[in-house]
Amino acid sequence: MNKADATSNDAIRPVREGLVSGTAGDPADIRLLGSRCVSCGEVSMGTNEVCLNCGSDRISGIELASEGELWTYTIIRHKPPGGYLGPEPFEPFALGLVELADGIRIVAPLDGDVDSFEIGVRLRLKPWILRSPDGQQYRAFRFATFSS
Amino acid sequence: MSSSEIVILGTGIHPFGRFDRSPEDLGAAAARQALLEAGLTWPDIQAAYLSRMYLPATSGARILSRLGGTDISIVDIEAACASGGAALRQAVLAIRSGEVDTVLVLGVEKMPRGFMDPSMIYADWQVRMGMSMNPAYWSMRARRHMHEFGTTEEQIATVAWKNHRNSVENPNAMYRKAFTMEQILGSKLVCDPIRLLEICAPNDGAAAVVLTTAGRARELGGEPVTIAACAHTIARYSADFRCPADSMSATIANPGPTEVTALKAYEQAGFGPGDIDCFEVQDTDAFCEIEICEQLGLCEVGGGGPLVEGGHTEIGGRCPVNMSGGLISKGEPVGASHLGQVVEIVSQLRGKSGARQVEGARSGLAHVLGAGGNCAVTILKA
Repeated sequence: MNKADATSNDAIRPVREGLVSGTAGDPADIRLLGSRCVSCGEVSMGTNEVCLNCGSDRISGIELASEGELWTYTIIRHKPPGGYLGPEPFEPFALGLVELADGIRIVAPLDGDVDSFEIGVRLRLKPWILRSPDGQQYRAFRFATFSS
Repeated sequence: MSSSEIVILGTGIHPFGRFDRSPEDLGAAAARQALLEAGLTWPDIQAAYLSRMYLPATSGARILSRLGGTDISIVDIEAACASGGAALRQAVLAIRSGEVDTVLVLGVEKMPRGFMDPSMIYADWQVRMGMSMNPAYWSMRARRHMHEFGTTEEQIATVAWKNHRNSVENPNAMYRKAFTMEQILGSKLVCDPIRLLEICAPNDGAAAVVLTTAGRARELGGEPVTIAACAHTIARYSADFRCPADSMSATIANPGPTEVTALKAYEQAGFGPGDIDCFEVQDTDAFCEIEICEQLGLCEVGGGGPLVEGGHTEIGGRCPVNMSGGLISKGEPVGASHLGQVVEIVSQLRGKSGARQVEGARSGLAHVLGAGGNCAVTILKA
């Protein structure tokens, strides 16, 4: 880690630049960013330089919908390999592919009882603040049902 | 066979498993066996390709230095789980160019136990958020297939049951143990609905083939098997939901990499799935064999569950799949897996597969598919 990173440890950084946004200092604010191609209309996740479908560089930045529908899901029963920053000790969680009204399905962890999900259920975007062992906070996201 | 056709003259394999042996040990053993079977020696080889994913730089030259000094071109090829197919394709193209006529293709891998190192394929943010488990993506596709087509957990388990049973007769497989349906369906869930006895493990192994032209093979003698097709592609936009995908289009569904690659291979070969006698396909999990059977055209879309349930993919069935026991029982030494499939098909077409033999097999297909939608299909004919 370089010096600039070390001094910004108290700030919340997006888990991925260009995908996650929120008001500085407000951990409860979460927005997902995307791109819409001016040529073919295709929507993609995060900010992109070209359309991943048609290759056009005529792209406009958009905010993705904050609600969607569960297209498919699984339950992660073992701690994922690598530097997973979820709860310690590990708790099984559902991972889903969530279809947004923008015409895109995105992979996201699901917050709530692992047995409470089924295909087609309506979901809402929720903030998820992750903390790395060195104290860095990341603004990440999950989806949850409306009843939870 | 026309003299310009490209043939496999020799094959070699080091069993797949976990060994206290170096990549050099594994690779040299398979390469020597392939040369011996081809009736050739190392100085006869004019170019060599190493298929590997996890080994360090220039492993091909390091491993093959065990066979003696050389100044030929030796190149490492990497295309995730399809590395073997990509390497084989380079060898075919090299011979077709006319520059060389006798080429060695070697696949070697040595991998740590457990889940694969996520930093190889995932971005940091996916790892931090818990999206770095490969079986999760197989499982999400399985769940959707069950929802759309009524595929059952029993049908998925039947794939594992068949492949584990076939492996008992394969001395090169890591696990050679038959399991009951109750044992499979009672094994631990890894990522719902996929269970421990329904997934493959990364491991160690090596496989090799010696290629030459049919004309040269006639001079040399032996038992050549023709490469009717060898194709490799990566997934088109929004064509394949597989690790490390972070999203898919909900408006565009392009043909998947297996469909695209198989179509290329069927065109090259001049015949299709109905004319092929046996298949070795990517069964990293039991569900994906069901999906791949559909995408190769062995049945209609959604018909993969009934296909395996009806026994059609068993060794005595209409379209035998994974006679070797598949990756579920052999393990997946990524760089060696496709060449291992090719070794199995060659043995089938020579009628030398013993209790695994598909009666009268004259043609066979090998298929691999992995990260990034890397897919390779090789078709062989006697």
